[in-house]
Amino acid sequence: MTPEVKAGPPRRPLRTALLALPMLLLTFFFLTGGRLPSDPKSLIALVVTYAFVNVLFVLMIHTGRTDRYRATFFVIYAVLFSVSFIAHMIDARGSMSIADDEILAGRTPFCHIVITMTLIPAALGKTIIFPGTITKAYASVAGMLVIWIGASLALGRGWCSWGCFFGGWDDGFSRLLKKPLIRNLSPKWSYLPYGVLLAVALTSAAVLSPTYCVWVCPFKAVSEYVPVTSVETLIQAIIFITLFAGLAVALPFLTKRRTQCSMLCPFGALQSFTNPINAFEVRIDPAQCKKCRLCVNNCPTFSLDQGSLEGKGAGITCVKCGKCVDACPRGAAYFHIRGTPLLRSAETGRLLFLYTAVLFMTTFAGGTIQNALMRIMNLLVTGRIV
Amino acid sequence: MVPLQGFFLGLSSGVACVATCAPVLVPYLLAEGNGVARNAFAVGQFLLGRLVGYLAFGVIAWGINRTLLEAAGYRASIMGFTYLALSVLLVWYSLGRIRTPCAARQTSGLAAAAGTTWPLLFVPMMGLLTGLNFCPPFLMALAGAADTNSLAGSLLFFAAFFAGTSLFFLPAPFLGLFHSVAALSTVGRMAAGVMSLYYGYAGVIYLIGGTGRG
Repeated sequence: MTPEVKAGPPRRPLRTALLALPMLLLTFFFLTGGRLPSDPKSLIALVVTYAFVNVLFVLMIHTGRTDRYRATFFVIYAVLFSVSFIAHMIDARGSMSIADDEILAGRTPFCHIVITMTLIPAALGKTIIFPGTITKAYASVAGMLVIWIGASLALGRGWCSWGCFFGGWDDGFSRLLKKPLIRNLSPKWSYLPYGVLLAVALTSAAVLSPTYCVWVCPFKAVSEYVPVTSVETLIQAIIFITLFAGLAVALPFLTKRRTQCSMLCPFGALQSFTNPINAFEVRIDPAQCKKCRLCVNNCPTFSLDQGSLEGKGAGITCVKCGKCVDACPRGAAYFHIRGTPLLRSAETGRLLFLYTAVLFMTTFAGGTIQNALMRIMNLLVTGRIV
Repeated sequence: MVPLQGFFLGLSSGVACVATCAPVLVPYLLAEGNGVARNAFAVGQFLLGRLVGYLAFGVIAWGINRTLLEAAGYRASIMGFTYLALSVLLVWYSLGRIRTPCAARQTSGLAAAAGTTWPLLFVPMMGLLTGLNFCPPFLMALAGAADTNSLAGSLLFFAAFFAGTSLFFLPAPFLGLFHSVAALSTVGRMAAGVMSLYYGYAGVIYLIGGTGRG
């Protein structure tokens, strides 16, 4: 009989400090660019961001837990992203709404979800069907494509738990209850994002417009929107708000699953295909597993099933949040580096993944968080967010 | 020269036609999960529906003043009703797919292929409805057909236009190469459901006076 294995004891402080040291140095370099700001508000924002990232990283290293600290970062990042983004829009345009002349001038910020709709027209017609700036502007098309490629190589679909500035909303609401009120959500719904992906990719190619952004995106509710000036735009606004309230707030709250990410988001579906080429994956050791299904029931994206417990690993929809790894009482779930022997140095796999993920997250999100903190300080001091 | 003009117009605008039809055809082919041969048959049915639609417009282009059809109000109404009909078809398909034939039926040959895509008119109907799309190439075809000044010429023009566009559908049956991936069937059906919402919404928007386009 296999002896029961529990999550290991916390690391000793010195060992934790040694393991955290590379991250302390790297995040300092990436956040400062080698130069400290002279403006006091910028300096405070930088220090708070730096401390925030590194305290969470140290806790991950020290406790051996991943998800709760990742989620803390991820949820706060989502909220601060909205603060920074909306403030930026108000700065640039005077409101959250997109005016027609901004669209015609190609000054609409590009987000990663649009990538799903631009790929086919870009490949076939060499046309970017989005009114955004290609380079050198806030949220440019080229910038987001480069970040996407980097994220795919570094994290695969781990982007959806470590990088996406929208995912924190439903992740956050999925954590409010201790136990789900709705349990019998069929995993079959996890196919829906692929259906949405197929539909929006094809319709976007047909009408040469990013149909998901125009008609579906729930996150319009917390970013920017087309002003309601007609029945058509009224219907669109109702769709955006309903989907946000339903899929990013109510259903995650009731089911403790990330329903927007696992049942709608076409980008998540596209990103799933990058999981097999990414170095990191989550696996379950069948010898240690006692089939309690805690991991299956805790997985926020329906990525674990019976096959996973029998050694097949998590499905391609796995967002590498680490929730199953934390939940398993026997340490059977673990981060694994593809190409290395299974079960060898499972903790090394987790550490290497954490270095990659936290560094990516800091580099990508650090600027936004600092900007949001400065806006909040402005609000507190002057009463104005812009 | 009339057939050649129609054919080349179709050939030059075939990509737009495929792009218009793909949101309906691709989910259907994936959802059915058939091999290449059966997909080829289904694409044939779909194209037959488009041909009927085109020929109907060939008759209309000859029989009535084309400016009537080109008027924005009529176009919006036709598009609105067409999209709503497509939406109903796709809702019906995605929610209640019926394809298993009676065991006593013939299991090979053309009749069986038709029988397993029951009801027989479903796929041609989708082809017909997606064919009635007033995209710029279609309007050019309408104008070209009307200029022939005869019923035969008008029909010939649209038939040639259809032939030109149809060449772009040749790769579609090869989606059947993925028929062993069982999940694609579910994905296709869900995509059909999403498309039904799209067409339903676009249909309503056309009818109430919006553009209905993304």
